Amino acid sequence: MSLLSVKNLRVSFDTETGRVDAVRGVSFSLGRERLGIVGESGSGKTMTGRALLRLIRPPGQIAADEMRFDGIDLLQASEKTMRSLRGPRISMVMQDPKYSLNPVMRVGAQLTEGLRLRDRLSKPAAYAKALEALIAVQIRDPERVMQAYPHELSGGMGQRVMIAMMLIPNPDLLIADEPTSALDVTVQAEVLKILDDLVRARGMGLIFISHDLRLVARFCDRVLVMYKGKIVEELAAKDLLQAKHPYTQGLLNCLPRIGGPRSMLPSLERDASWAG
Amino acid sequence: MLIEIENLSVTFTAQGKPLRAVQEVSFAVAAKSAFGLVGESGSGKSTILRAICGLAPISGGSIRIAGETIRHDRAFSRQVQMVFQDPYASLHPRHSIDRTLSEPLAIHGLPLSESRIQQALTDVGLPANFRFRYPHQLSGGQRQRVAIARALMLEPKILLLDEPTSALDASVQAETLNLLSRLRAERGLTFLMVSHDLAVIDHMCDRILVMQHGRSVESLSRQALASGQMTTAYARSLFAASADRMLPP
Repeated sequence: MSLLSVKNLRVSFDTETGRVDAVRGVSFSLGRERLGIVGESGSGKTMTGRALLRLIRPPGQIAADEMRFDGIDLLQASEKTMRSLRGPRISMVMQDPKYSLNPVMRVGAQLTEGLRLRDRLSKPAAYAKALEALIAVQIRDPERVMQAYPHELSGGMGQRVMIAMMLIPNPDLLIADEPTSALDVTVQAEVLKILDDLVRARGMGLIFISHDLRLVARFCDRVLVMYKGKIVEELAAKDLLQAKHPYTQGLLNCLPRIGGPRSMLPSLERDASWAG
Repeated sequence: MLIEIENLSVTFTAQGKPLRAVQEVSFAVAAKSAFGLVGESGSGKSTILRAICGLAPISGGSIRIAGETIRHDRAFSRQVQMVFQDPYASLHPRHSIDRTLSEPLAIHGLPLSESRIQQALTDVGLPANFRFRYPHQLSGGQRQRVAIARALMLEPKILLLDEPTSALDASVQAETLNLLSRLRAERGLTFLMVSHDLAVIDHMCDRILVMQHGRSVESLSRQALASGQMTTAYARSLFAASADRMLPP
């Protein structure tokens, strides 16, 4: 049975200038696998991730024919049930450590907060567990990072702190929204290796949201390509570089290549029919 | 050589302990060329740009521009300007684009005119009426264009680019890189660029310095990068991790 199934998910916002449909009828199911969602900013990929956790505030509205996680109907679930799901069962790594970490709390306090309050661990036990999580994401100097404030960390370190934080409760489904876009290639490879090991070892499902097609092609099992709130193409990750849809092809073509020509990069020509 | 950096060291104090962010790094950038700094986060590549601008303390070594040791005065900012990584953080949220672009002129006592601002926007491919907007009304790519326009207001010779496209989508990255290439050709600019994307660096730069843990590891020409002729293990591993960014055979 699949871990998550979504049918005809829609997210819309009523704004002063009229209704904006951010996600328009997205359907997919997910097992214990790595699913990539790619698209440009504004394509609705982040909104899809947030809708799964019902983390869309009014005036935003979520509607779907079905949204089911491990037998639980996410559309009907009470706010209390949702709170118990967020974190221990489904967690989400947000895109930007600058906005997602509390700027006035030390990293150590943020990492241990959930362990102390939710799991009622003693202070030393929570500290040890948080330190272990930082080591798991390959932070070189975990003691210093525990004492640091978020502004004292580089972007890559902040991102790893957030991944560590989401992995502490050992969720069944991890939604990672651009988890490595602030990281450089070698650290990116390390972080992906960590995520990969977790998917395999813990049998975790992973939704990997990214705008980096090459990364998704290398790392995921299956890929959804989104454009203006719709899925325009679904394919096995290994076939991504041979994509059929002109939008996916256009996104691939405008990337620079090592050893490529110095001429202007091709820009993406959009076709109104893609948005259908 | 337009920019000469010799044995540059930058040391911060973190929790009472010295943190040596950059240790004795030397390199030189020829006029009208583009030089790239690559390395993992925390390798000190952005700190070098910040040290050149006076945003990080220089604890040793020297930085010379056109043969003279830099002083961070007004004349300096007319020569050197910086474009930051995150266009969401680098524009004042409560200043209109007009004010953002006028400020450098006002500070330097240069004549302010409507046409100058309009021209600056047109040069970076934005409609002239964007000057009445605020940053939150622009997309990430449009904001980065405004940041580039602001950096060019004083007509500097050198642009320091700190990951100028890493916050942008592939299609917007292509447009921004094309814009930077065009501006460099038109105005004879010198670029010192930091990126962790070897494909972006390869596309833009003539020479590359690979950094790790605050030290320089290896200096490469573009040809050596493209053909994988690096001599150090670290540069090789960086290259290997970027295998999917190679030109397909």
